This record gives sequence, C-alpha cells and structure tokens, in this order.
Amino acid sequence: MTMPTAPVSTTVAPRSAPPPSGGTSPSAGRFSSLGGRRSLIGWFFLIPAAALIFIMNFWPMFQALLLSLQVGRGANLSFAEPLWFNYERMLSDQTFWMTLGTTMLYLVIQVPIMLVLALILANILNNPRLRFRAMWRTAIFLPCAVSLVSYAMVFRTMFATDGLVNDVLLGISVIDSPVNWLGQTTTAQFVIILGLLWRWTGYNMVFYLAGLQNIDRSSIEAAKVDGANAAKTLWYVTLPQLKPMILLTAIMSTNGTLQLFDESYNLTAGGPANSSMSISHYLYEISFVGNPNFGYAAAISYVILVIVAVLAAIQIKVGDKRD
Amino acid sequence: MRRKTTFATVAGVAAVTLALTACGGGDESAGGDGAGGDENTLTVWAWDPAFNVYAMEEAERVYQEDNPDFELEIIETPWEDLQTKLTTLAQSGELDELPDIFLMQNNAFQKNVINYPEIFSEMPGDAVDFSEFPEAVLAYSTHEGVNYGVPFDNGTAVTALRTDVLEEAGYTVEDFTDITWDEFIANGEDILEQTGKPMLSGTAGSADLLTIMLQSTGASLFDAEGNPTIVDNEAVSAAVDIYTRLVESGILLEVNSWDEYVGSFVNSNVVATMQGIWIIGSIQTAEDQAGLWQVTNLPRMEGMPGATQYSANGGSSWAISANANSELAADFLGATFAGSTEFYDSILASSGAVANWQPAGESEAYAEPLEYFDGQPVFQLVVEYGTQVPSINTGAYFYEGRDAVSAAITTILNGADRDEALAEAQSTVEFAMQ
Repeated sequence: MTMPTAPVSTTVAPRSAPPPSGGTSPSAGRFSSLGGRRSLIGWFFLIPAAALIFIMNFWPMFQALLLSLQVGRGANLSFAEPLWFNYERMLSDQTFWMTLGTTMLYLVIQVPIMLVLALILANILNNPRLRFRAMWRTAIFLPCAVSLVSYAMVFRTMFATDGLVNDVLLGISVIDSPVNWLGQTTTAQFVIILGLLWRWTGYNMVFYLAGLQNIDRSSIEAAKVDGANAAKTLWYVTLPQLKPMILLTAIMSTNGTLQLFDESYNLTAGGPANSSMSISHYLYEISFVGNPNFGYAAAISYVILVIVAVLAAIQIKVGDKRD
Repeated sequence: MRRKTTFATVAGVAAVTLALTACGGGDESAGGDGAGGDENTLTVWAWDPAFNVYAMEEAERVYQEDNPDFELEIIETPWEDLQTKLTTLAQSGELDELPDIFLMQNNAFQKNVINYPEIFSEMPGDAVDFSEFPEAVLAYSTHEGVNYGVPFDNGTAVTALRTDVLEEAGYTVEDFTDITWDEFIANGEDILEQTGKPMLSGTAGSADLLTIMLQSTGASLFDAEGNPTIVDNEAVSAAVDIYTRLVESGILLEVNSWDEYVGSFVNSNVVATMQGIWIIGSIQTAEDQAGLWQVTNLPRMEGMPGATQYSANGGSSWAISANANSELAADFLGATFAGSTEFYDSILASSGAVANWQPAGESEAYAEPLEYFDGQPVFQLVVEYGTQVPSINTGAYFYEGRDAVSAAITTILNGADRDEALAEAQSTVEFAMQ
C-alpha cells in the first residue's frame, strides 16, 4: 500500500513557502497561500472539538490534581503542607487499604471468570446451526440493558435472609437454616461478584461475537480439515485472531471494576463493617456522607487513575504482540 | 461557493461552542429578593411528598389566609440529593442557586453549619419563639449560641409493641413501661421462649439502637467540644454490652436492609420495634394489625448517671438559606411551623406529622385516641415524651462516628474484643477528623 502524497505536501507547503517580502507579520503571510488557508480551515474544524475536550475532560482533571494537593473542610481549602499530604495520608488510612484490597479481589476473581465465560458463550452462540440463536443472544445481552440500581435492588431482595435464594436452597435441602448472605463478609463479596457476572458477561460476549464474525470461516474449516478438534481450533485458530477484542474487553473490565460503585452502594451498602465496600464507594463516602474532604477524595481518585493506567499499560504490553 | 459553505459551517460550529460555554454562566436573575425572584414567593427544597412536602403545602395554605399574595414553589429533593446539592453549591460559591428554605436532617445540621456557615441565614428578629420547642431538639440546629433552624419532624423515640403477642405470653404494655434494659431482656427471653418471636429487629451493624440508648442517658459519641468519646466511655460500653446481649440471646433479630426491617414488623415476625415516632407511618401500612399496637417509653440504662426513659432518633428542621428573602421566610415559618395550632392539627390528621412545637400538643387533635393504637392518644404522649429527651451534642462528625461504631458492633458480634474494637472506631473517627 502506498501512502497518498498529495495532502501531505499541501500541509507542509506553508512551512517551505518563502517569507512575505513586505508583510507586517509573518503569520499573516503564512496563511496567505492556498495551502495555508486550507490548513487554517482544518484548524478551525478542529478547534471546537479540541476546545470541548479540553474544557470538559482535561481542565477538570487538572483541577482535580490541584484539589488533591489541598486540605481543608467545606469551602475553606488551602494548599497542603507538604503538598503531597493527602497522598501521604493514604498510607495510614486503614479503610483505604481495605477498600483497595476488596476492589482488587473483585478484579482478580470476577474479570477472568467473566471473560472466559463470555468467550465460551460467544463461541456457542456463533454456531450457525444453533437453534433460536437470536433469542439466546438477546437473553444473554439483556442484563446489561437493565438499570444498575434496579438490578442491585433485585439481587438484594433475592439474597435477603427470607429471600428467594434461601427459599430455594432450603426447599432442595442444600442448607438447613437460612444463610445471611449480605451479613457476612465472604458471602456479601460473593453476591457482588455474582451480580457483576450476571450484569456484564453478556456485554463482553457481544464484543467477542463481533470479533468472531470477522474471522474468516475458511481458517476454521482449514483447521478442521487438518484434524483439529473443537478445543484445539478454539485455542490455536480462533483465540489468536480474537486477541485485539480480548485486550479491549480486559482493559474495559479492569477499568470498570476499579471504578465499581453501584453494586457496592446499592447491593450491600459496603457492609458488613465496610468489608465489601469498593474504593469508589469509599471516595463517595468521603465526599458526601461524612464531612466533605474533597482534597483527600481527589487524591484517592488520582491513585485509582494511576492504577488503571498501569494495569492497562501492562495489558497492552502483554496482549499486543504486533511488530 | 464551496468556500462560503465551509466558512459558514465553521462559524456555525463556533457559535454552538460559544453557546455551550455560555450555558455555564448561570441565571443572573436569581438573588437579591431571594431565590423565588419576586417578593411574595419562596422556594423550598424538601423530600418526601407525603410528609414534608405535604406539610409545606398545608403551611402555604394556612399562611395565605392572612397573606393572599403569598406563594411557595416547592421542589421535591431527596435528602441525599439535597445534601449533595448544598455541598456542591457551597463548594463552588454559587450561593444564588440556593432556595429560600430547605429541610435539613437534624443529625446533619451541625456538620453543615460548621462546614458551610455561608449557606445559612440567622433567624431575623423575633419571628420565631424558640422557647416553645424542646431544648434537645433545638440543640441540633444551634451552633455557638445561634439557632439556624425551625424544628419540624419529631424524632422522639418510642417502643411500639404488639399487644396480642404480649397477651399470648401473659404480658401487657405496662410490663414494658418505665422498665430497665435488664427487665426488658428478661421479659424478651421469656416471650421468645413462649411465642418463638424475637422482641426487636434492626438493620445489622446499624448504630441506630445504640445512639438511641446513648441519648437516653444524655451521652453521645462526642463530648461538648465535638471530640470523639467512643473509647473509655461508660455509656458507650454499656450500650454495646446491651446490644450484644440482645443479639446473642436472640431477642434482637438482625436483618440486612431497611425494607427487611420494615418487613419484620409488618409481617408479624417480631413483637416490637424501637424507633423515632415517624416509624408509625410504616407500622400502619399493616392494616390487618389495626388495634393490636400500643406505644410506650423506652427501657432505662440502669446505673448510668442521667438515665431516662426518653430518647430520639432522626427528625428534621427547616433552615433559611443565605440567599433567602429572610424576613418573609422567617415570618412564614414563625406563623406556621412555630405558631399555628390549626396548621399542626391539619397535617396531623392526614400525614401523622407530629409537632415539636409544644403548644400544638395541647390541641384536641393531639388528644384524639388513635384506633390503630388501641385507642391510645399516641400523639399527645409523644409530644410529652419529647420534652423529657436529654439534650446532646451530635457534633460535626456524627456520621463518621456512627459508621465507625456500626463497624465496631459487627466485629464485636463476630468475636472481637469490645474495648479493642471501640478503640479502633475511635481512631477511625480521629483519622477522619484530621
């Protein structure tokens, strides 16, 4: 494939154009040529979007960074002494470490299970001979169209001590007394993980389905002709071609889990004794439930940002083997 | 021609961008005469249409009798949203977006007054006679001698009991009146054995019952200066011990959420509930239990200095904002929430909103026997209880204290050492206060 050279030369042209002979300012002359004017129009088109992105995304991020260096309650904020005080404070904040640990636990357990499950489901539903394919796909995708709050409420009702889950388990004699699902640390975390799996597996599956549609069927047929069984075909032929999708979903899931809020807030309210609270939920508590400490909350959000960035970088490094 | 279209497009996009940016500027017309805009209109933020918003509408009607031009613009705002809005407005300095009057949870009043004094107005002149409210209730909205709120929703705590279950086990409500916690536990164990029903229920790890116990002795998680006193506090330790005994003996059924808590007494799974009087709204949803409930006072923490049978939980007050037409707002509140028996009588009948304003308790509507509560004049009783609730300092860090103690209760019930868990709670609160 050859690169089109013409557009490049037009944008480069103003730089090589000779300086205006008697002009008042060099910039006026820079855009006087046809190519220059085109470049100007190009910039005009870019400015609104760039300005919006700057004002809506980067400016708040920069302000949050400034905020994370400030201390004080309410609106009386002043720069901390030393500047990194809020970051230092985190080191001795037991709740911070506990919520960070819990969030990491969700990440380590839930994301791999979810992605493997989504892969398996996508493979099954990609089979052209499967009956009612569209219905299965819709059914599995549907949970992620449900409102985060309402599904959390439904899960909470189902896992109540007198809820559906206990009733069923009692009915089939798996347990002999109701389990207090949301009242114990391990089971509360388990319910959150289960909720996340239910809500997000279908979402990731759709990405894999889209990826599978793009795989040339002849490569899979070729593998079959060569005598590879289903598992080997999946491992050696399908998965390598799905790699960009797997990378994408892994990064999105990591990002999403580290920012987990709704489940922790609505499903378990962070309990018992804050043991199922996610770090984003803790951040909310610092900002709005207790006495607002926005400086500290901003510092924590920056730490989340760094963790997300580092994990994404690792995933890209590991996952992307393109030369 | 093509060039013209291109420039037109660019100009159009630029104009949209400018317009979008201009949106952030805010409405300049607010402010000056107050948030309402004209001098006879007040805006109000309050939550719960059936209760607080309804009361405000009734107050508007009552006030209009003497001031026909007066109008209220009530904006329903759930409590969490209201708190978030106040915080963000104060933080951004956009005080002209505040309404004239807003409702404030009593337990959050100190926190907001201390952190954001600039969003409140002092009550001007003598529009409100504060001596007609119980001292304990006024303490929530008073900071450094200045009162910033007109108390509304009554948070006086009661014990509500199912008389039919008591009868089954050979007890009456009198056996639960003016008693101690030891007697309560003894009765509760007996009733549990006979009927299989626990006395109480509560949200697991919630400190509600604990703070009710503390206030009944005049104690709090904070001292008068607002410093946490969770550790080495005789009242806190005693209350935690009572709570542990209640759970371990099976008298207190721990559930996981508010809906489960309400379900526990609506579905006859427990004999009684201890809560702010506003809980009777939830109790009365069980229509089949009409005539089977009665209310009485709370058990006393024996051996504690200042122990009483009275306490409070929750409640709310009206505050006048810094952006208000404060003369009108204070006159309105003074003539209705702090001065009209007619008003309180009308809201009592249809929403069950019990007054903190003591003269209201003397009216006939309050003395009316309630059929649902077996003919008891519940409202009169509650107003009378309210005058005997000890006054406490909730401090600015009430929510941090409550959450830390809630976590401590859970770990103690899971086998942790009481004093160690409370010491940890104290250090959590101290850390949050840094």
